Amino acid sequence: MLRLVPRRARAQWPLLASLLTILVVGTTLLGTAALLVTRTSERGVEVSAARADPDDVTATAYVGTVAAANARSVATDTRTVLTSAMAPFPATTTTRASAALRLLPMGDGGGVLGGGYLSGLDDLPSRAALVAGRWPRASAALPEAAVLQSTARLLELKVGDRVDLGPELGRSPNQAVGVRIVAVVRPLQNAGWDRDPLGGTGFDPDPPESTSARQIHAYGPFLVDLDDLLTGGSALSRLEVTAHPDLSAPTGRGLDELTASLLGANRKLEGTLGDRVEVQRVSSPLPRVLLDARDQQQLTSGGVLSLALIGLVLTAIALTLAGRLTTGVRAGESDLLAALGTSRRQFTAVAAAEAGAVAVVAVALAVPLSSLLHAALTRLPPLAGAGLAAPVTVTAAQVLAVVGGAVALTALNVGLATRTAAGAGDRRTQRELLARSGLDVLLVALAVVGWWQLRAQPAAAGSRADAVRVLAPALILTAGAALALRVVPPLLRAGERLAGRARGFTLALAAAGAARRPQALAAGLLICLGCGAATFGTAFGSTWHTSQRDQADLAVGTDLALSLTTAPLTGQSAQVATATGGVISPVARQNIVVGQWLGGPDSAPQLIAADLRHADVLLRGRAGPAGGWAGTTRPLVAPAPVTGVALPRGSTPAITGTTTGAMPISVAPHLLLQDDSGLRTTCDGGPVPLDGRAHPVPGCVTQPGLRLIGVTLSVLGEAGIQYVTRIDATVTLPAPSTSAWTVRAASPESGQLDDPQITATGSRLRLSSAVSFADTAPSARILVATAFADPGPVPVVVSRQFATAVGARRGSEISFAVDQTPVRAVVVGVVPQVPSAPGAAALLADLDLLTRAMAVRGNVDLPVSAWWVGHPAAPDAAARADGLGLGTVTTRAAEAERLSGSPVRASFPAVLRVLIVAAVVLLLGGVLLQVTCDMQARAVEVARLRGLGVSRRGIRAALLGEQAAVVLPLLAAGAGVGALATHLVAPLLIRSDTGATAVPAAVAHWPWASEILLLVALVAACGLAAGAAVLVQVSRADAAHLRVAS
Amino acid sequence: MTGALLAVRQVNRTFGSGAAAVHALRDVSFDVEPGTMVALVGRSGSGKTTLLNVIGGLDRPDSGTVMVDGLEVTGLDEDGLSRLRRDKVSYVFQTFGLIPVLSAAENVGVPLRLARAEPRERERRVRLLLDLVGLGDHAEQRPGELSGGQQQRVAIARALAASPRLLVADEPTGQLDAETGLAVMGLLRGVVESEGVTAVVATHDPVMMALADRVIRIGDGRVEP
Repeated sequence: MLRLVPRRARAQWPLLASLLTILVVGTTLLGTAALLVTRTSERGVEVSAARADPDDVTATAYVGTVAAANARSVATDTRTVLTSAMAPFPATTTTRASAALRLLPMGDGGGVLGGGYLSGLDDLPSRAALVAGRWPRASAALPEAAVLQSTARLLELKVGDRVDLGPELGRSPNQAVGVRIVAVVRPLQNAGWDRDPLGGTGFDPDPPESTSARQIHAYGPFLVDLDDLLTGGSALSRLEVTAHPDLSAPTGRGLDELTASLLGANRKLEGTLGDRVEVQRVSSPLPRVLLDARDQQQLTSGGVLSLALIGLVLTAIALTLAGRLTTGVRAGESDLLAALGTSRRQFTAVAAAEAGAVAVVAVALAVPLSSLLHAALTRLPPLAGAGLAAPVTVTAAQVLAVVGGAVALTALNVGLATRTAAGAGDRRTQRELLARSGLDVLLVALAVVGWWQLRAQPAAAGSRADAVRVLAPALILTAGAALALRVVPPLLRAGERLAGRARGFTLALAAAGAARRPQALAAGLLICLGCGAATFGTAFGSTWHTSQRDQADLAVGTDLALSLTTAPLTGQSAQVATATGGVISPVARQNIVVGQWLGGPDSAPQLIAADLRHADVLLRGRAGPAGGWAGTTRPLVAPAPVTGVALPRGSTPAITGTTTGAMPISVAPHLLLQDDSGLRTTCDGGPVPLDGRAHPVPGCVTQPGLRLIGVTLSVLGEAGIQYVTRIDATVTLPAPSTSAWTVRAASPESGQLDDPQITATGSRLRLSSAVSFADTAPSARILVATAFADPGPVPVVVSRQFATAVGARRGSEISFAVDQTPVRAVVVGVVPQVPSAPGAAALLADLDLLTRAMAVRGNVDLPVSAWWVGHPAAPDAAARADGLGLGTVTTRAAEAERLSGSPVRASFPAVLRVLIVAAVVLLLGGVLLQVTCDMQARAVEVARLRGLGVSRRGIRAALLGEQAAVVLPLLAAGAGVGALATHLVAPLLIRSDTGATAVPAAVAHWPWASEILLLVALVAACGLAAGAAVLVQVSRADAAHLRVAS
Repeated sequence: MTGALLAVRQVNRTFGSGAAAVHALRDVSFDVEPGTMVALVGRSGSGKTTLLNVIGGLDRPDSGTVMVDGLEVTGLDEDGLSRLRRDKVSYVFQTFGLIPVLSAAENVGVPLRLARAEPRERERRVRLLLDLVGLGDHAEQRPGELSGGQQQRVAIARALAASPRLLVADEPTGQLDAETGLAVMGLLRGVVESEGVTAVVATHDPVMMALADRVIRIGDGRVEP
């Protein structure tokens, strides 16, 4: 019997070639998917780590309060622990240390102490620019120090001066320290000065780290050599060691080791430092980054496998079709062999031998083909862009997948080959119909369960790939196609009834053939599912990309965002505007406390405030309400801008004041300035004694276009005593004011400022108030004068999550705290999401009104932390903004690119393309095979039709009409299944880059143009395939066939 | 030749070439008068089917002419041949040649549809013909649901549907048992007489030969005397 196999193969090679082609397509898809989910996936994690933001791959050890004797050993041990935690990767470290605040001898400060502190950085030249002098050297007889420009200005220091810092404040008496000023430096932007105790500002009238009961004006840092600081007998208030691992060529295993090591670093540091320190902590975003990458890797692998499974199902169906057609072609031969006494076992052996040979050839072809396809895919976008280009490679997992797939499909092939074929014109038996119905019901039930499970998947991050996510799309598509096939026959029968009324023959025969021939629908499931998979793949890809863009839009919130590392300086708006063009706005974005509600650990309520006059240009995010952001935010915008007093560049306001009492009193002025873009900054003056003399406040008006819109005076004097006096201070301005100024106590509830008055006369603002010194809190005696009135409750729109959390709705009054400054607000709208705060409980306010509300409460340190740019004019706006060195630049285009082109996600869109191509190839192959076999089986019938007087043209029309009547509804049904699956499944399969539910939620997107193009191409290709087969067969239909038949 | 419905003159047909050439027909000539039934008799491979195919315009002779009802079949183009088979010549095949997806009535209606007959007239004629062949009660059954004899009767009804001048039947009883074959032959004889058609029937069956008006013997591609 086995001798039959090669002989039959030679005779029926086209059939075997088609079986082999289908098997090769399926197993190649499997092999490619295996390479994507193993080699490329792992490489994705490695590239992801190598490309991570440098700030995201560092680990910093924070150590607090170290005795002078332990400073050096603690620093050394901390470096050692941190470096070892980076194993197996080499790491470099940078160290920053700040000593405790020491008494700084000063002149009469109105009863306020002066303080200064030493700091040491081992990379000072990379963090500051030299303005005067030279960099401090180590081990000088008198330690050498650099000071910031602001410190030098306020303390009137210059290079060469000696500064003696007294004992540490609030600690046991210890030695004074003297330093020689050898440099005045300017802190560089984005150089970590936010980690300085005074934030790199050089001065703080009320430092948070003060341990003294008395008010202290802190100055510093005095930047000395790090080793000098660690060995100079100063206790450290804080020590930070940051390790930077070299992840330029990581391995997945190494990254996993690093993750585990860093997660245990905190405990290791605690054990190493022991009681030499009061506080220690290791903080690093790196484990989270790597774990997120692993989560994404899992999710992407799940997606790739789900698409590969669809391809495998298609292959199995194509193989089933090919098997059935082969069985049909061999029916006569099988009957003969059976009649000659061939047993079922012998049939099976022959079928297995033939299928095994085909499988071996398929494996031999699929392994190199999948390697080549994989290598080609990695050289195309998005994998190439993600840095995942790979050479042609063969892996064990790939070979296993190919062999496993070939074995499974071959088993199916053998099973089919041993079944008998249905004869032409046979009607299905009741049993077959019942089995088919049962299978349909089972498929639908499984699909419903899969869809339900997808819907019920957790919204939180870290949802890993599971069987449901892998199986559900294939199940839903297959069940949809099976159900759609139920719809097609009634349609064909209805069409046949209509066509039967016609006089002519062609239409009637075509309709009857389509409606009544079981073979006509033999390829039905393949055509329907193939079209469904191709349209689903196209729409899924579009939905996925649209969702990535939507997520990027909402996450960035605007076209270009520049997140500042330090508070913006006066004049920065001009810099940003020049670099980017477009509409720019300063933006406040920070966590807030709403009433008593702090939110969760990672879900604190957020405030977003921007210049909402340009909301339509500035704000981005699909979650915007109908009518756009402009309509929603219109009630949030202040009715009129603040004008204040225009200050000519270089002008110097002055303060003159008196007090009615004997106690020396001074005031610390803070000027609230506004530039043309609406950016509000403050300029702090040193303490000004109220001695009747004019004291200039220099260095504030450094830019043109500034306007003074507010002044706060912190009244300084000995506090905690029962003493009341009245102060009178006049601010002399370089130009007259036309605004209506108002004055109030920043915290009237404290009762320390009574009867505040203001008079604006020409260019003079005269403020007066009765002052009580009973309360020790300096904030109780802040007099606020503004060129605008108290705005009252700030109108805000809140996110749905915010509204749910605090029970707010339209019209609700809420109170929240920004930097401990209470702000009253009224909710004027609820929106699904607030730009730049996806999924967060967030509120959106107009920055102008918000800062007015904060200013009247005495907080003029306004919380601007970013610049937003709408419609940036410069094509290279992002690069130019980045060149400013102000902070991190993000654009929605770049964010979308990051999301969709991420190394750990890029495999998904790539394999989508492969699926579409595979579906189209299998579909067309199935159509060609079906039509060819059908035509061959009907050759005699076609010849007889000619014998009946039907012209070749008429036969061609009837046969093509029949094929069209079958294929077109199947393609339409397939497109319907694809659309349905897209709407049901695609949004549920799309997750964010953290693995959580996408925000905004993904919405099914049906790309009409692409889908129509695909369907037109499918119709044309099917028409071409069927047309070619029909044409050849009809042209061959001649008397020879009749002779054979007779 | 005057008055003959079918005139075959010096027809030759060879398949293949050289040493492998098969001379299916050699100088075949005969006439068939209208309204007669001719039995074409010969062994398998003698050239009966080839001759019928040439007469029906399904095959072209290498030389010679065939005239059907005054029309030279051998001079017709593809469309002309299709018209010939539609209007003048009908076939009855050994294996019946019914379209499996069509019912008996629909199969009979095929020639009428080709002639674009009025649907009502078509239905009337189909009923009439099915009644004629005794299958009025089986109109909606498909070929697969009919016996061999019933299928051949449907094929005969279909062959008569377009009122042809010449009916060509290639071993119409070859697939039937003796009793059914006899019935079919009786039917053919009946319709020749009742419908006035001319029939050329290739057969091995002596009964059929007995029913024919004339027997033409063909052997090795030649008409035997």
